[in-house]
Amino acid sequence: MEKILITLNINGDEHQVHTYYTRTLLEVLREDLHIKGTKQGCRAGECGACTVIMDDKPVNACMVLAAQAQGNTIVTIEDLAQGDELHPLQESFVENGAIQCGYCSPGFIMVGKALLDKNPDPTEDEIETAVSGNICRCTGYQKIIQAIDKVANNEVVS
Amino acid sequence: MNVVGKSITALDVKDKSRGIAEYVTDMQLPGMLIGKVLRSPLAHAKIKSIDTSAAEHLPGVKAVITYNDCPGIPFGLGFGQDDWTILAKDKVRFVGDEVAAVAAIDEETALRAVSLIKVNYEELPHVLDYKDALNDGAPVLHDEYPDNIAFTFNIERGEVDEAFERADLVVEATYRTSQAYQAYLEPMAGIAKWDSRENLTMWLPIQIPYKIRMIYGKALGISPGKIRVIKPAIGGAFGAKFEYPLHLIAAILAKKTGNPVKMVNTREEDMEAGNPRVPMEINVQLALTKEGKFIGKKSRLFTGNGARTVYGVPITSTATYRIDALYNFENVRGKADLIYTNTAPTGCMRGFGNSQMTVAMELLVDQAAQELGLDPMDVRLKNAFNDGDLNAHGWKINTCGLQASLDKIDEMCHWKERKEEKSSSEKLDKIQKGMGLASCMHVSGNRPFFRPFDGASSIIRIGEAGQIILIHAECDMGQGQDTAFAQLACEVLGASFDDIEVAMVDTQISSLGLGSFATRGTVIGGNGVINAAQEARKVLMEAAAKMTEKPQDELDSKNSFIIDKKTGEELCTFAEVGSDYAFSHGGMTLTGVGYYIPPTVLPDSTYYGNISPVYPYGTHVAEVEVDTDTGHVQVTNYWAVHDVGKVINPVLLEGQLEGGVAQGIGWALMEDMYYNDEGVLMNPNFLDYRIPGAKDLPPIHTAFVETNDPNGPFGAKGIGEPAINPVAAAVLNAIHDAVGIRFYELPVTPEKLRKALLEKKA
Repeated sequence: MEKILITLNINGDEHQVHTYYTRTLLEVLREDLHIKGTKQGCRAGECGACTVIMDDKPVNACMVLAAQAQGNTIVTIEDLAQGDELHPLQESFVENGAIQCGYCSPGFIMVGKALLDKNPDPTEDEIETAVSGNICRCTGYQKIIQAIDKVANNEVVS
Repeated sequence: MNVVGKSITALDVKDKSRGIAEYVTDMQLPGMLIGKVLRSPLAHAKIKSIDTSAAEHLPGVKAVITYNDCPGIPFGLGFGQDDWTILAKDKVRFVGDEVAAVAAIDEETALRAVSLIKVNYEELPHVLDYKDALNDGAPVLHDEYPDNIAFTFNIERGEVDEAFERADLVVEATYRTSQAYQAYLEPMAGIAKWDSRENLTMWLPIQIPYKIRMIYGKALGISPGKIRVIKPAIGGAFGAKFEYPLHLIAAILAKKTGNPVKMVNTREEDMEAGNPRVPMEINVQLALTKEGKFIGKKSRLFTGNGARTVYGVPITSTATYRIDALYNFENVRGKADLIYTNTAPTGCMRGFGNSQMTVAMELLVDQAAQELGLDPMDVRLKNAFNDGDLNAHGWKINTCGLQASLDKIDEMCHWKERKEEKSSSEKLDKIQKGMGLASCMHVSGNRPFFRPFDGASSIIRIGEAGQIILIHAECDMGQGQDTAFAQLACEVLGASFDDIEVAMVDTQISSLGLGSFATRGTVIGGNGVINAAQEARKVLMEAAAKMTEKPQDELDSKNSFIIDKKTGEELCTFAEVGSDYAFSHGGMTLTGVGYYIPPTVLPDSTYYGNISPVYPYGTHVAEVEVDTDTGHVQVTNYWAVHDVGKVINPVLLEGQLEGGVAQGIGWALMEDMYYNDEGVLMNPNFLDYRIPGAKDLPPIHTAFVETNDPNGPFGAKGIGEPAINPVAAAVLNAIHDAVGIRFYELPVTPEKLRKALLEKKA
């Protein structure tokens, strides 16, 4: 199978990879660049575990061909914490018991970030709608919704 | 208490929030290859020949294996049916059965190679439904089981026929529970690597790191002592992550190539060939007096094993008789058959058979209460056990929080008041509201699960810098077990939680542990941790007495300091004692080793004997709105109260319970695996197999009753499985309350509900 050169802007860094033209952004992140905070759950756009932010929009990295993501600005979970200091959303997920097995958590946090960047004061219904493309089998969502809501209400100091 | 009972942040969640926790699917080893499996497209067929030559010649392919490359040892999981081989021998038995496998330099090459393997099949007739598999002339899956029955379970206590003769009321119904998929977010995966001394190291997301070595040792024809299992973070399991052929296939590929091999299921493979919940048909007859006292119970179960035996045997027996510790039925008779079909092999899912029977029983109790004109809550109260009771099978119920959970949930959701309101409300609206109640019990440890023993042990070290390392051999799969164990250890040691770390489970380092199943972690593992902590504290206090030149009985420990018991004065730190100890013992770290053996017995040939040290109880209430136009059910409110003995970490406990409720609502309303006539799974993805999303779930109100069981660690009982057990029954009872229709089959989809509403009208 043919390989091509792909240039991606991820978390402010430029990366070049020579890889299969069929690889998705998720596959390039994980298999070529070893940036593995973005999780692989279904590879079909159905679980949201691989959510990254591309040009300010949350996208399933498994549904974007890496070649198509060239020229876009991509932000992954690794870019949220500043050194040791967690992003308020990460802090809120941690403090609120919103993380159990943790496999879906990066995806939920990225969806939460994309939402709050656009709409800093969402209603509970708007939060539920924003995360409705992400699935979590451990928590029942209640603590995830609350965690995002607390950040919106400035109840989390990190 | 300083640490136990507090909502301490789980040890691993900061790393998980940053995406830096390492799961097996994330791991990368030098020289690592990627493996993929060729799976059967047919439900039942003879393998006439396999041609791997084209695959082998593809550049980048390092190995192609079939049955002939495997040791060829039939094996099983310890229940008598040796119906596993690593790859299919001469026959495939379900769509997804493992036929051959490839290791290659990357996934694309491995997949291309898999597509080049040519298999010549001779198709055989197949059977998909477990009741059909009992018919005369049904296709036979395994020659050793010509009737397709892998296992039969019979149990009887008391004078059952006599009880039914004197009953004022006998109610009977037959229920069908669906083959739910555990739907953990991290698919089944594994990495295998051999060294030059024939040692096999496996990195596995696995609930039973030790037991799996025994089974894999047999399958590979090597000593279990040559297998090292390391368990990194697990992306959910819910009962699914036990023995799995993929791990062994990785081991064979790694052996053949000399390289580490990683294998990860696609979601489709995981659903088609994972080990979903055992589907069951359950007939129950209940004999009652007119006051609502149960006096007898008969049950007949047919359970679906799928194409090979995973944990269907203990799941089937559990389904038949564990419920006898929920209520005192006095006289019981049960029979169950576990039946092979040409579908995915079924295994453990949260609740382990007891969930299935709880659905049946809690629906039937509701029906019986209605027929007697009694409140279902009162019927349950009337039949509950009391503290210290022995059930029909010799199970010792030290503490029973069932009554307390019923009282508490009534306080929370005003069950009785609301029921009265409901009976006077308007019946003609498009949206009909209802409330349903269901109770549950479970075990915390299951003595016959692993026959050689039950128990747990751990090692606690206080290092030269005061660092505390807890080494245990159970399994945190996201439920927070490591954190709960660390809390128990710190409480006993008088240590600061900041100073403790829990080692990753590694069978080369820890003692032999059984792992996470049967809701045993907190109680059995936790007691093992407490005993190790007590041993460590003994050594610590002796060393501290020596160092401070004070008698031991004048000393205490708090917040990682040795203090004067009377004045509270801080005399020295754990670090000072730890270094003094190590430096005066040739570097040997201050260590406590402890173990726990639960006061249980291996049941006798009639299944009599106490299997668990404690029995957790609980009660749930669901409130639903049924749209009578569309048949859609929205659960609008949910209450769950559990007897957990003692709360160790409130936030983690709530999380477990909320998650169990969510899974139960999915099971009640959404989740089933549908096969077409050819045995192909029709919904092997999250779009067609929907699990609840954020919008599908109600506010979940949780509360706990503390019965302080003498056998629990600080009085605690487990929560993992009881959390799901009563959910589907509570939801279905609420649907009945709303629209007056009883359902006998999970899930209650809008189609089924709408159809039933139309039939009722007609």
